[in-house]
Amino acid sequence: MDVTPTQGIDFTRLTLRDGLDLAISIEEEARDRYQDFAEQLTLHHTVDAANFFARMARVEEIHRSRLAERRQALFPGEISSAIRAKVFDVEAPEFDQVRVFMSVEQALKTALAAEEKAYDFFARAIPQLQNAEVRALFTELRDEEVEHQALVKQEMARTSGEPSANAEAYGDDPVAQ
Amino acid sequence: MELQAKPVQPQTPAALQPKDYKSDLKPIWCPGCGDFGVLQALYRALSAIGRQPHEIAFISGIGCSSRIPGYTTAYGFNSVHGRALPIAQGVKLASPELLVVVAGGDGDGFSIGGGHVAHAIRRNIDLTYLVMDNQVYGLTKGQLSPTAPKGLHTVTSPFGSLEEPINPLLYVLAYGAGFVAQATPADMPGMAALVEEALRYPGFAFVNIQSPCVTFGEEEQQLRAHKAKMKPLASLGHDSSNQLAALDLARAYGKELYTGVFYRNPAPPPTYDALVRLRQAELAKTRQPRERVLDAYLQK
Repeated sequence: MDVTPTQGIDFTRLTLRDGLDLAISIEEEARDRYQDFAEQLTLHHTVDAANFFARMARVEEIHRSRLAERRQALFPGEISSAIRAKVFDVEAPEFDQVRVFMSVEQALKTALAAEEKAYDFFARAIPQLQNAEVRALFTELRDEEVEHQALVKQEMARTSGEPSANAEAYGDDPVAQ
Repeated sequence: MELQAKPVQPQTPAALQPKDYKSDLKPIWCPGCGDFGVLQALYRALSAIGRQPHEIAFISGIGCSSRIPGYTTAYGFNSVHGRALPIAQGVKLASPELLVVVAGGDGDGFSIGGGHVAHAIRRNIDLTYLVMDNQVYGLTKGQLSPTAPKGLHTVTSPFGSLEEPINPLLYVLAYGAGFVAQATPADMPGMAALVEEALRYPGFAFVNIQSPCVTFGEEEQQLRAHKAKMKPLASLGHDSSNQLAALDLARAYGKELYTGVFYRNPAPPPTYDALVRLRQAELAKTRQPRERVLDAYLQK
């Protein structure tokens, strides 16, 4: 079943300010999810993947702050129309995409899947948009997702073959007690 | 005096963000655990309702999912195994203005605390009971739990379970719960909406959340499998005011993964806490002197 990641948002009525607020919320959620992953994996001694996710959190924060600056310049002091409660996993990986002792390779795959998902989101939203400025913004954000995917793929190529933690190696089948 | 407990009124939607309900304590669940999704949905539902953290109390028993009170900024009590419901009932009666949420696992709710569920339901105290049903005792390393499917191999059933599982949906419906729903973290928007609806329901509300255990759970109980097999009740045209239809659908627990509201009483009866307030008001009119209090209990 396909689940809509945004609840009750009418894309046909989005203004540029709404679009920016939504985009900021999406980046915030991705940042927070990556930060959560980094914390979970640090707690569970999966350091390499935790460091990667912490880096992703910093990247998402850069994206968020750029959008926030732009929004501030265009609509200074105006209250955000975005409701975080309505945004689900648009650019953030699903919360079940981490495991104890996951490898950096698996972490990179998780990030790539998230970037692809974000691309799909913007690509699907664009035809519904009525406002030309919002359409231009979403087109720009969609295209940025392609760049992000390329960066992740580059990192995959760079780290390919490097030794990393592997959940299989720590397999601990249940035994009768 | 008004008998009906009031539904929680939404305040300014943007006033409180999900992060405002998140405490500084970091969850120690296994990475990838379904309970992370439940927690996220809960933060969003609370934010949508707009109640301040100090107006909310989380009560739990023991288990992985029972750690939830610590991860919120609301009042919380991580209590004794299986005893979340009695404690929550006491909290609600003592402080009826609080939004009281009970959280726990299937073992805590339907095995160790199983006897309490029926009484909380028949009293219809205004509580929201969220059960994170993972079909296993995860915290203690994967023993058989009351909702574990027949045949499941665990550390306490190495040759496969011989027992039929408890059906939590049928159980609470049969005792007359006014709001019964099922959710999965595979559908986050749906789960957040259901939790919000349960929180707003004036009376005992139950949500069974299929929350996979990534460490001891079976592959077919994980989110990927949920995504493939879940069936929203709304898409089946189910009328959630029809209790008999709800009972019929609930029988498929363990075979089908229906999500959404099974039953919502269209005319919720007065809650116990509202009746208590009414009784207190009535008795206040004819208050006896303290030395005559026992007379009420003596046959004349």
